[in-house]
Amino acid sequence: MLAFKNIKKSFGPKQVLNDVSFDVKAGECFFIIGASGVGKSVLIKHLVGLLACDSGEIWLDGEEISRFDEQQMGPVRKKCAMVFQHATLFDSMTCAENVALPLRKHKDMNAKDALAEAKKRLAVVHMQAFADRYPPELGDGMRKRVAIARALTVDPTYVLFDEPTTSLDPVSARRVDTLIRELCDKLGVTSIVVSHDLSSIFSIADRIVMLYKGKVLKIGTPAEFKATDNGIIQQFINGRAEGPMDL
Amino acid sequence: MTEAVRNPRLHALGAASIELAEIVGGMGVLLARILVRIHKFDGEELVKNLYKMAVKSLPIVAVTALFTGAIMVIQAAVIVKRFNAEGLLGWGAGFGTLREIAPLLTALMISGRVGANNTAELGTMVVTEQIDALRVLAIDPIAFLIVPRFIAILATLVMMTLFADALALFGAAYTGQGLLGVEPMTFFNGLTGGLLDFGDVFNGLFKSFVFAFVMALASCHFGLATKGGAPGVGRAVNASVVASAAGIFVLDYLVSFLG
Repeated sequence: MLAFKNIKKSFGPKQVLNDVSFDVKAGECFFIIGASGVGKSVLIKHLVGLLACDSGEIWLDGEEISRFDEQQMGPVRKKCAMVFQHATLFDSMTCAENVALPLRKHKDMNAKDALAEAKKRLAVVHMQAFADRYPPELGDGMRKRVAIARALTVDPTYVLFDEPTTSLDPVSARRVDTLIRELCDKLGVTSIVVSHDLSSIFSIADRIVMLYKGKVLKIGTPAEFKATDNGIIQQFINGRAEGPMDL
Repeated sequence: MTEAVRNPRLHALGAASIELAEIVGGMGVLLARILVRIHKFDGEELVKNLYKMAVKSLPIVAVTALFTGAIMVIQAAVIVKRFNAEGLLGWGAGFGTLREIAPLLTALMISGRVGANNTAELGTMVVTEQIDALRVLAIDPIAFLIVPRFIAILATLVMMTLFADALALFGAAYTGQGLLGVEPMTFFNGLTGGLLDFGDVFNGLFKSFVFAFVMALASCHFGLATKGGAPGVGRAVNASVVASAAGIFVLDYLVSFLG
């Protein structure tokens, strides 16, 4: 299980996260939503040690990890994979080499075996035909799928997705949604998804937390979000320009 | 109000000093991190970088070296003709080429081609979060990316200097024949007649090792310290090339005293 407890984070004078606390249950598809710049991506970067909180605790499977150094974060990062907003594949490597890299580094595979295994893993995300292509030659949706295949090579228990459907066409976006849902249902992986894509949120989320002005505004199921009479939440989930939300 | 705030020149001097200290300190920390992980380098990355840096630099180094050798002879031609000192042409061209011109010009060429490219590549990886992606995959960016590049730059420059020495002397010998009618054998006798020895070659190679060291450190440091998107990459490349060139000339001056 994963728990954020009283997380505070500032960048200079700007306080981005102010006492954020919530739990994520094993195997669920958990969405973190909120307006742009509210600190959603900042929050999940704490979990993999890319950012350190000013105060608060992060508990991962019974271990408090918020003060871990780079070396201690190694096992945590194998447990918690992350798919970045812009996929962040290595441009100088083919798709297969991108996926093979963690296999070579963490599974003691030689280059040839790692590449063969990488091609199998690309097939899972329907990208085997593009194994020998370089990332700049691919579209956003294809790169995202390769990034998901790469993240899964370390057999993580948790996968963090930072805006996985942003900039994708609706068909590619739904394919990525399906992949994320399948991770939870078929592999038992806990998915934590930062998003403001309403279609994704209401089609695959088990639970949602909404951040507003650095704090948790509400935690609940998609049905509970739809039923709430909170004006800010209603404005956000209905995508209205006018309303009480202060941007 | 402090003196520094009242005096803008003092303020600028202080700011420049702090910036310089940050750069030197950053390079020192990076060097320590490289040395701690020097045995953990990724073999595949090293081979890839050696190919990219050394093999692909061969044409430009060859052209530079051939013409450098020729220029050395052209400059010596007037004196050689006036004093009929054809026998000293090999020594004259060889001394300057082996100890100074070949290591220096090769270093500047490699700095422009390899160092700048290295900074741009690392800087782009930083601003597009590819370095963070490596960290999240539990892969140490220093051991995986930086150490192979550091070793490859050292090996590339020393090898390229040796290659440039040979080609520059070849170019000088045949320019001497074409321009002054000095037979290549006479030129090579001047090289090996006792006025030059392997110490001169090693002096040049030692210089190239020192130049490579500063170039590798500067290009990796400025690449990893890149901030601010595409303009930041441009600034990093600019800083890396300037720091490498300045470092090369200052160290050339210092190493020249060693004999």
